[in-house]
Amino acid sequence: MEFELDEDQQLLRRTVRETVAKVRGRPEDQQWSTYRRLGWLEAPPLELALILEELGYAADPTPFLATATWFAPLTGRLPEGSGTAVFDGTGRYVLDADRADEVALLTPDGVVVVPGAELAVRRIPVLDPNLHLAQVEAVEAGALAEGVPDLALTGLAATAVGACRRILDLTLDHVKRRVQFGRPLGSFQAVKHKAADMHVAIERARALTHFSALTIAEDDPRRTRAAHMAKAAAGECQRLVFRHGLQLFGAMGFTWENELQYHLKRAQACDLLLGTASAHRKALLAS
Amino acid sequence: MRLADDPEVADFRAEFSAFLDANLPAEGEARDRSRSSAHVPDWARRWQRTLFDAGWLLPGQRPEFGGRGATLPQQLAYLEELARRRIYHSFNPQGLGIIAASLITFGTEEQKRRWAVPILRAEITAALGMSEPEAGSDLASLRTRAVLDGDTFTVNGQKIWTSGAHDADVLLTFVRTDPDAPKHKGISALLIPTATEGVVRRPFGSIAAADDLDFNEVFFTDVRVARENLVGPLNEGWRVANGSLGHERTLLWLSFAERLEDLVQDAADVGAGQEWYATLLMDLQALRLLGYRQLGPDRDPAELSVLKLLGSEAVQSASLHALEAHGADGLPHPAGTGPYHHMNNEAFISSWFERYARSFAGTIAGGTSEIQRNIVAERILGLPR
Repeated sequence: MEFELDEDQQLLRRTVRETVAKVRGRPEDQQWSTYRRLGWLEAPPLELALILEELGYAADPTPFLATATWFAPLTGRLPEGSGTAVFDGTGRYVLDADRADEVALLTPDGVVVVPGAELAVRRIPVLDPNLHLAQVEAVEAGALAEGVPDLALTGLAATAVGACRRILDLTLDHVKRRVQFGRPLGSFQAVKHKAADMHVAIERARALTHFSALTIAEDDPRRTRAAHMAKAAAGECQRLVFRHGLQLFGAMGFTWENELQYHLKRAQACDLLLGTASAHRKALLAS
Repeated sequence: MRLADDPEVADFRAEFSAFLDANLPAEGEARDRSRSSAHVPDWARRWQRTLFDAGWLLPGQRPEFGGRGATLPQQLAYLEELARRRIYHSFNPQGLGIIAASLITFGTEEQKRRWAVPILRAEITAALGMSEPEAGSDLASLRTRAVLDGDTFTVNGQKIWTSGAHDADVLLTFVRTDPDAPKHKGISALLIPTATEGVVRRPFGSIAAADDLDFNEVFFTDVRVARENLVGPLNEGWRVANGSLGHERTLLWLSFAERLEDLVQDAADVGAGQEWYATLLMDLQALRLLGYRQLGPDRDPAELSVLKLLGSEAVQSASLHALEAHGADGLPHPAGTGPYHHMNNEAFISSWFERYARSFAGTIAGGTSEIQRNIVAERILGLPR
């Protein structure tokens, strides 16, 4: 096999990185319309993973993830506006259900698409203040089926990898600048070794995420196993990166003012949604 | 990025597969075991020569050195095919992969003829003299001294951890030839035949068994070495060391992938339903992916440290889990824990404890995990030294 990004993919990654940095801080709907206008929602799985990693890096506030990796794989199309899907059989903690224009419901008889405005939905305050999660209430018991798309797991994994990379970058920046005992913190081996472990965990999770996207793109028989691996690895990665990142940041990372908190929370939320690392390790063994 | 092999690689793999099917030594022929990394039983010498003659020994080399000019992805496919069958191309891996490879890169024509080709043809075996009692991770501080007088070096000093030295015919030895130069600049590489007067080798047992003799101390007392045995220019041994090890490092991760693959098979029963077993599967997949990526052009060599860390620590962790999963059944030692393969019976003869203990070779030798973390932190993440 060949496991290098080709030139187009590298170019895409650079473009996405630059664009996301440029529109950062602008109103949410402007960011959303920029991403749509650039056709990012139509990207095939691997390219989508690259985009989502960059959006995860920026703690993206738009409904991109739910639209591209929840709604689209269930319906085989893109929604008018934004979309999401209920595919866990319960309707709990549905990403962006409170603001989606179209909601795809996975039922025992197949997929039913409902305008978001017609569903009774209650947004749930969650640990990540920028994440929209909602309970879809007006659905009868037994009316929903369970079938999480591989792409939804891969999308969360890619987002988590991006968030972890941001945590590492912020941490590196901090330990390079912060001087104690007359030396930058980053010159101490105890600090270096934690940073190195964060990097290895990110590389591992990113590789498995790209692999998962690739198996979806090629509809390889390993795709479901690969998706479990990606989601589990991203969860393991965030666990280590959260712990080391917050620890190395010292008291500054513990404040609301510091932006580190948004990325820690995005990474943590990605693990808790649609099954933690442990759940996907078990699912991998059972698959 | 794609899942399938390049057609060039697929054809290459198929050709080598067919060669193996037609030429592998039969079980009855391959009874004698190799007792150290420079001891090659007669059948294995014949096998290595068969590979050499067919250009299947070091496929990346030119035909006169047992190769066929294979690309890096093809070399990887070659090693994967060997590993899948749990067979070796040589029982003197450092002789082949490091010493002969260094001679081909840095040696004179005469050195290639006299030493490299015989090592490749398994007529002689070679060991690598690098570490010293006071020079481990800080290899460049080595003190074994070689003084050039006319056309002869006189060598005094000591090496340690010299794998297979007691069974080797020649040692590629790194010595200090200019004690006044900065430490990286006063080192040279010498070929020292082990039969030379003044060379004393003392093998010592490993943690696995008193009679598991691979490590050696090697003492040099007024050992006289002809100048023609100098490999590369005088005082440029550090370049030789980096070049020869560098070649080996590119595909070093594969040896960890092979161990993980063995663990996937050999621990399948105790691993059933265990989350650590899922982690093992993920580590193996991730290591392969990152390894394949490293075959691409313009890769940063520091990324090899990521592969070594990931691979060596995954092997260690999975081996410990496998040992613990056996509970008191993990106590018997010696004991066998893997299937019998006539050309590679390491797992067959190793207890779970031994497999766990041996995993520390991965996290200590070839740059400890601590050194690898420093490399990642400083060269990839840009933290200050």
